[in-house]
Amino acid sequence: MATRNRTLLFRKYRNSLRSVRAPLSSSSLTGTQSGVGPVIEMASSSLLNPNRSYAPISTEDPGNSSKGAITVRLPPAWVDVSEEISVNIQRARTKLAELGKAHAKALMPSFGDGKEDQHNIETLTQEITFLLKKSEKQLQRLSASGPSEDSNVRKNVQRSLATDLQLLSMELRKKQSTYLKRLKQQKEDGVDLEMNLSRNKYRPEEDDFGDMLNEHQMAKIKKTEELSEEREKEIQQVVESVNDLAQIMKDLSALVIDQGTIVDRIDYNIENVASTVEDGLKQLQKAERRQKHGGMVMCVSVLVSLCFIMLLLLILKEIFL
Amino acid sequence: MVLVTSVRDYINRMLQDISGMKVLILDSETVSNVSIVYSQSELLQKEVFLVEMIDSISVSKESMSHLKAVYFIRPTSENIQKLRYQLANPRFGEYHLFFSNLLKDTQIHILADSDEQEVVQQVQEYYADFVAGDPYHFTLNMASNHLYMIPAVVDPAGLQRFSDRVVDGIAAVFLALKRRPVIRYQRTSDTAKRIAQESAKLMYQQESALFDFRRTESSPLLLVIDRRDDPVTPLLNQWTYQAMVHELIGLQDNKVDLKAIGSLPKDQQEVVLSSEQDAFFKSNMYENFGDIGMNIKRMVDDFQQVAKSNQNIQTVEDMARFVDNYPEYKKMQGNVSKHVTLVTEMSKLVEARKLMMVSQTEQDLACNGGQGAAYEAVTDLLSNESVSDIDRLRLVMLYALRYEKENPVQLMQLFNKLASRSPKYKPGLVQFLLKQAGVEKRTGDLFGNRDLLNIARNMARGLKGVENVYTQHQPLLFQTMESITRGRLRDVDYPFVGDHYQQGRPQEVVIFMVGGTTYEESRSVALQNATNSGIRFILGGTAVLNSKRFLKDLEEAQRISRSGSHMV
Repeated sequence: MATRNRTLLFRKYRNSLRSVRAPLSSSSLTGTQSGVGPVIEMASSSLLNPNRSYAPISTEDPGNSSKGAITVRLPPAWVDVSEEISVNIQRARTKLAELGKAHAKALMPSFGDGKEDQHNIETLTQEITFLLKKSEKQLQRLSASGPSEDSNVRKNVQRSLATDLQLLSMELRKKQSTYLKRLKQQKEDGVDLEMNLSRNKYRPEEDDFGDMLNEHQMAKIKKTEELSEEREKEIQQVVESVNDLAQIMKDLSALVIDQGTIVDRIDYNIENVASTVEDGLKQLQKAERRQKHGGMVMCVSVLVSLCFIMLLLLILKEIFL
Repeated sequence: MVLVTSVRDYINRMLQDISGMKVLILDSETVSNVSIVYSQSELLQKEVFLVEMIDSISVSKESMSHLKAVYFIRPTSENIQKLRYQLANPRFGEYHLFFSNLLKDTQIHILADSDEQEVVQQVQEYYADFVAGDPYHFTLNMASNHLYMIPAVVDPAGLQRFSDRVVDGIAAVFLALKRRPVIRYQRTSDTAKRIAQESAKLMYQQESALFDFRRTESSPLLLVIDRRDDPVTPLLNQWTYQAMVHELIGLQDNKVDLKAIGSLPKDQQEVVLSSEQDAFFKSNMYENFGDIGMNIKRMVDDFQQVAKSNQNIQTVEDMARFVDNYPEYKKMQGNVSKHVTLVTEMSKLVEARKLMMVSQTEQDLACNGGQGAAYEAVTDLLSNESVSDIDRLRLVMLYALRYEKENPVQLMQLFNKLASRSPKYKPGLVQFLLKQAGVEKRTGDLFGNRDLLNIARNMARGLKGVENVYTQHQPLLFQTMESITRGRLRDVDYPFVGDHYQQGRPQEVVIFMVGGTTYEESRSVALQNATNSGIRFILGGTAVLNSKRFLKDLEEAQRISRSGSHMV
């Protein structure tokens, strides 16, 4: 697609107009300096232009001092909060990648116990969940009060961060559920394998003594007990994580935009903003008016004047008595 | 597809190189261009945290220098003035200016003059100056569309403005496509001729360096035609989904405003019908009403299945699965209720206005012969109490367009009957339509009764019978596209501008209809493109018409002509 860049032409015009403007503006200085005029012109023009954030100290012409002196004001405080949140989100993202690797490692057949892998996974999961919860709480702080342009910016920043958070939490859940599924499958395979082995061992000894049978049965029962305990623990874990993340998702879904709906249209958002800003303005004006004509103000002023009168009377009484 | 992609690419390029928090400032026209292809969530991903209109931005005095301003506006003189004021009192840290069409040097000079604080970082022309609603259909959303019907002497300044806007839009389309076309126009239309000639002047003389793109083996074709050559299509009632929604309720920038229908939940009062974002709509937008009903029923059944399984949560795994699938489920629910609401509303309207009966007669008038039977049918419907005024007007217009010359006595009787039954009817509107678009003014063979080949084709169709009585009408555009595909577009009727010439068939054709297009025609173009005939057609117009809009334009033009003739 074709485009055309007009910036060069624009800059050319701007520079030529600037040089036309600068001598004109400094010649508006007091006429008594006309003798040393050119020298001052050069000096003041060099002060005015290069450094934008430098406010020239010329005292003779206060009108000129505002030119070329854009002070870049600091962004409002909530920007720091939003930056903190995005940093946390980034951190959570890297940890999630680590978690994926840890899951893969734990699923691989290993000679060790696998307990330290489990521990690693648990800590990582907890850290990520903690980061997500913290970010979500901070996100609520971003909610602004009162209609203004700044509040719209805040609302939009909130929405954007909420979408990121929601995606992260969904990814976390997906990773967890696939890991658990694979783990269960592995365990089942392992159990089947063991069952098969024990059955194979079992059969030729069927005709053996009852004690041996009982021993085998006891061992099997113990094993199934252990298995069911483990299963229960895992289910507990799943329930906990579902609870945690469900809460986060519920809160976030209020903020996140549903794609494809009217709320996702730019023109709808502009119209709505305009109407809410107008409404807000009207409310403020109404409140202001009510306050001015309000009974409260009257009462307060009456009471204060009464106080003064009483005080005066008291003093007079003291003087005359 | 290519137009939608071009506008999206322009917007992406605008935003990608500017880091940090941004505010996007649009004007009343570019807001439509942008909103129809780009969503709010995508803007948020690009760190655009505020979107404002250029009119309202001067009102507030808050300084937000931590934001960078990205302006995307049309280079009109009003916008330049507003921009001057805003540059002289800058509220934002940086200013990046993007204009949707060509800037004049004087405008750049004015802007450079007012940028005393030197906040402007770049000035670019990004030619996204049209509303790309569908893959092969664009519009310019022009408010004063009726001007094309008025002769130049009545309002020369207005017509010049109209023509300039159209030429700007056409130029932007070709700059976005990076092509320079060969131009043809409809001989009988002065407005079309003027626009064609001014476009040629712009592309080949005034800005010929800008349009000097790599030549392909066959140049694309720009065909400028006039709405008045086919006044029948906008008057007909529609029965395919997208066209029907626009005809009965109204579709503006792919949005449907349902606020007039009471008792709807807040999130259904305004809905979006976009083939890009809604898969169900994409597969059903050109289907007729009966098929849509069946498809919606199927969709509702599927959804009820999903809903039932969601309520049937037994195990922990089910619970986890529910939470995972919840966003999808919510989206599906929103989509299903949107389509159900639309179809219910349209069914109600069809029932109330007896549109099945009315439309059958309309289709007969448009497609089949038989003056006597037509007269009887129209008279009956005019006497019918439940037929609304606008439908009566449309029937008489269609009859008049077809049987203009046959049996003038009966035609006069119909006019009188219409005037007596419809108190709101403005007298003379039908005659005005005939003056604008009557049989002498038309080039194409609108009713298939001029050309021998067309007569034969119609007879064959009559013998074979039609699949669906309500969608038997083919817009005239279909025949035009066929002629282009066969390489048989007559030079006599559609001459070339100046010394343009085209050897063989073009591979890309942009058809611009002065006066507006309809969704029935855009459907025809989409279906034609799907046949892979080797030619890609793109359709554009000054507005997207339904019968209400077309009649409004007619009334407006009639009013101006009357007052004009009084002045003359």
